[in-house]
Amino acid sequence: MNKFTTFLIWIFIGVMNALLVWAILLLFILANYGLGIVISIFLVLTDWAIFSKKAYPYRYTLPALFFLFILTIYPIYYTIDTSFTNYGTGHLFTRTNAIDTLLTDPTYYFEPENPKTYDFKVFVRYDEQYKPTEDFLLLLYDEKNMYLSEKPETLEYDSRGNLIYAESELFPIERDQITVNNATYKIIRPTESLGTNGNDSIIAIEKDGEIRYTYFYSPVDPLTSTNSAFYNSVLRQNYLKSLNLVLQDQNFRLSSSTIFRKFSEAYRVYDTSVKVIVDGEREIYKTVVVNTLTNKELVERDSAFWDYNENGELYRLIGYKDYIGGENFAKIITDPRISGPFFKIFGWTFAYAGLSVLLTFVVGLAFALLLNDVNLKGKVVYRTLLIIPWAIPAFISVLVWRNGFFNETYGIINRFILGNLGINPVKWLNDPFWAKVAILITNTWLGFPYMMTINLGALQSIPGELYEAAVIDGATRWKQFRQITLPLLMVAVAPLLVMSFAFNFNNFTLIYLLTGGGPAMAGTNTPAGSTDILISYVYKLAFEGSQGQDFGFASAISMIIFAIIAVFSYFNFRFSGSFEEVSR
Amino acid sequence: MKKGLILTLVMLVGVLSLFSQTLTVWSSEKQVDFMKRIGQQFTRDTGINVDVQMVTFGDIKSKFLTAAQAGEGPDIIVGAHDWVGELALNGLLEPIPISAIELNKFAPSGIQAFTYEGKLYGLPYAIEAVGLFYNRDYVSDEEVPTSIDELKALAKEFTTDETVGFAVTANDFYHVYGFFTGYGAYVFDYDSRTGYDISDIGMNNEGAIKAGYLLRSFFEEGIMPQGMNYNIMDSMFMDGLAAMIINGPWAVKAYLDAGVDFGVVPLTSIEVEPGKTMKPFVGVQGLMINSRSQNKAFAMEFIINYLATAEGIYQFYIADPRLPSRIDVSQIIEEQGGPVPAEIVAAFTESAAGGEPMPNIPAMQSVWQPMNDALNNIINGTQTPEDALNDAVSKIKAAL
Repeated sequence: MNKFTTFLIWIFIGVMNALLVWAILLLFILANYGLGIVISIFLVLTDWAIFSKKAYPYRYTLPALFFLFILTIYPIYYTIDTSFTNYGTGHLFTRTNAIDTLLTDPTYYFEPENPKTYDFKVFVRYDEQYKPTEDFLLLLYDEKNMYLSEKPETLEYDSRGNLIYAESELFPIERDQITVNNATYKIIRPTESLGTNGNDSIIAIEKDGEIRYTYFYSPVDPLTSTNSAFYNSVLRQNYLKSLNLVLQDQNFRLSSSTIFRKFSEAYRVYDTSVKVIVDGEREIYKTVVVNTLTNKELVERDSAFWDYNENGELYRLIGYKDYIGGENFAKIITDPRISGPFFKIFGWTFAYAGLSVLLTFVVGLAFALLLNDVNLKGKVVYRTLLIIPWAIPAFISVLVWRNGFFNETYGIINRFILGNLGINPVKWLNDPFWAKVAILITNTWLGFPYMMTINLGALQSIPGELYEAAVIDGATRWKQFRQITLPLLMVAVAPLLVMSFAFNFNNFTLIYLLTGGGPAMAGTNTPAGSTDILISYVYKLAFEGSQGQDFGFASAISMIIFAIIAVFSYFNFRFSGSFEEVSR
Repeated sequence: MKKGLILTLVMLVGVLSLFSQTLTVWSSEKQVDFMKRIGQQFTRDTGINVDVQMVTFGDIKSKFLTAAQAGEGPDIIVGAHDWVGELALNGLLEPIPISAIELNKFAPSGIQAFTYEGKLYGLPYAIEAVGLFYNRDYVSDEEVPTSIDELKALAKEFTTDETVGFAVTANDFYHVYGFFTGYGAYVFDYDSRTGYDISDIGMNNEGAIKAGYLLRSFFEEGIMPQGMNYNIMDSMFMDGLAAMIINGPWAVKAYLDAGVDFGVVPLTSIEVEPGKTMKPFVGVQGLMINSRSQNKAFAMEFIINYLATAEGIYQFYIADPRLPSRIDVSQIIEEQGGPVPAEIVAAFTESAAGGEPMPNIPAMQSVWQPMNDALNNIINGTQTPEDALNDAVSKIKAAL
């Protein structure tokens, strides 16, 4: 390896390390600790594998390891983590986020009945190329007085770099002149209007007679509208939108009631204070939020902040995400809405997944045996035609089945096939039994090409001598199939059948598109439908029921479904493993 | 040292965000073009770019929920008023100061629809309620039914193997709510002072059960075939195979384009019983602001001064002919015309004026599925209307 290549590799390692460290830092700043830790572990492992001789063999598994961490381990961790929280509608943000919102969001500012409002003018320093800079002054005025504010020095950003708070002090201007922090500002007017005192016709403000701030923008002055782009996208966005101007005990902010064209008196409704709770020997410091208007502490209940209204009743302000232990899991057993039809649905889920595998396998195998027959002509054509159901996206074909085939009046099956045979129309989608049949028919149609394909492959691998020997021994076709074809086929296909089972166990798309879980089970007080499988039932409970989304509950159920599938797969693999004895 | 590093990083992020002075709007396809046009005007006036992105209407709410809680997503969304409760409960919508808008220019029902717990969370641009469409090839303007009995008698005349006399998406609660209210049923009891009382559900009262029997009779008497759904109804009317259907103003343009000669009767002029008329659900579309947006002030300016002006609402109307939410727009329509004949607009306006706004509280989420299930069971004869509606109400109560 020449020196240049080595150099390049070192550069690459350096850059990778830097990027990962940067990513980790950012993740921790954004309070995304889970992913931060996962990437940190990966970084340590990578560097260990690169720099340690002992870890040399592991180098080549690193890329795979990275994706294992990001795509598999982290989502599992995240699901488990979420299942113990109340994450969902009304509880989307962290407690810190919620407090931040209460403190900084303009929604929670209070404007008195008749607030004082002020118009304003912006004065900007130009650079040598006569371009406006971000160095500016703010002149507030009403009928009588004028006040000056320097560019705010105190600026607070949130973790994403957005300005959440800025503060600046206002100084009253008297006789067109003012001294602030040892600097003298002087108002400059055109010569013809010298001596006037109002806020009109000010063309600039001079600092210490040297630095000149030119009149730049005022929302009420159409002459300055050409400057509005710079004002809006730079000054307002970077300084003014969260600017708090302080004049003695008054606070001024751009007023939302005038669509942010004026400064108006406004006060923060909520503030934090620290409360000491004595717990036995220890003292616990807890941040509480206080309403500054009523001087009452906000109540924290059900993972949300509540405030008192004028009648002394509690009303909900904002909720936050919180750990609630095993509540989501307990709900499955204790909530009659869920536990009631749970076992019916549980049973149907197994029946549906099992029957789907069985039917697709039987149909697929039958076609595979036919296509495998040496005497069959035009195999390619048949095979192509039989693959079609697999090639059409399920999203489309399921809807075609639903509307085109199973519709009670207009569907092909009832209208043409059964109609011409003189059979009464079948309530395909509205009778619990026939809806299940409709699902199995559709799923068999969708699934058999896959089974046919894998069976065709597996059949090729069975040596022809076995059949020759069987024929000599006088075995019938059926006996050949049972004793030779099926056992040898199973060795190859059984694991795929387990996979297929697991897939159908969670085949949400088919159920949702074909019947939507319907028809509804009569006499329950849950949204359960006769053809709902676990996953579609959970979807209804977690996302379509109550007040919107319930991610915590959905995660809890996903974990249970995962456990069921894991246990089932374990036994199935052991079961299918027993076939391997045959091949030995 | 560490603090310095973090600060530098934060500064870096801050500097990066400097270059993204863009107001993002999520809108459904119909409005994109003219919103872009109005956006250009806004850019000329303020220097803020406006990026109007097309998102399928049905996806806007779910995508917005995901994006906004991560602090991202658009600054403005176009949406339906019944999203307000859920989004506001999650703290994702920014209230609009009432003092900043010309409140008296907006239809009161539109403002009411976007008001949740005393705050206005969106500006309405269009109002809609379903009405009875009739094809003039079958039903002349003089024959238009004024009661359910007349409707049934008329419908029977035109029901054959190929055609239907009357069709409604009977398993969809939204479309048939008018029948229920006609008989005195209600979802949640409403009091203008205290809002909705979710403990008082009126979907299994005497009137609701009557409505259930009425809906079932459409099928039992052979007026409507089993398996009728929206798509079938819609295409049959478009092909001239349906005499009367219940549908909303969103369908008007397609029927006009298809060359169907039709008229619209407000549901509020059809009596279910002497003296009792149908009251359909009123839906309102509007513009809402993301509370996590960094450009809330600009978003508000854009909505209030550019989109929700009389001219802006007129543009909305041209793009998507529902009923404009501003009273002063009707004058512009009179002067400049619009895509829909005036008498159809008038019929829908009347239907909406006499209708009931769909509750915008999050509890409404738990109503749809049980009610649709109940309707399915009623029209299929799986359950009696009493049983089906009692079931539905107990499901709704259990979910709340």
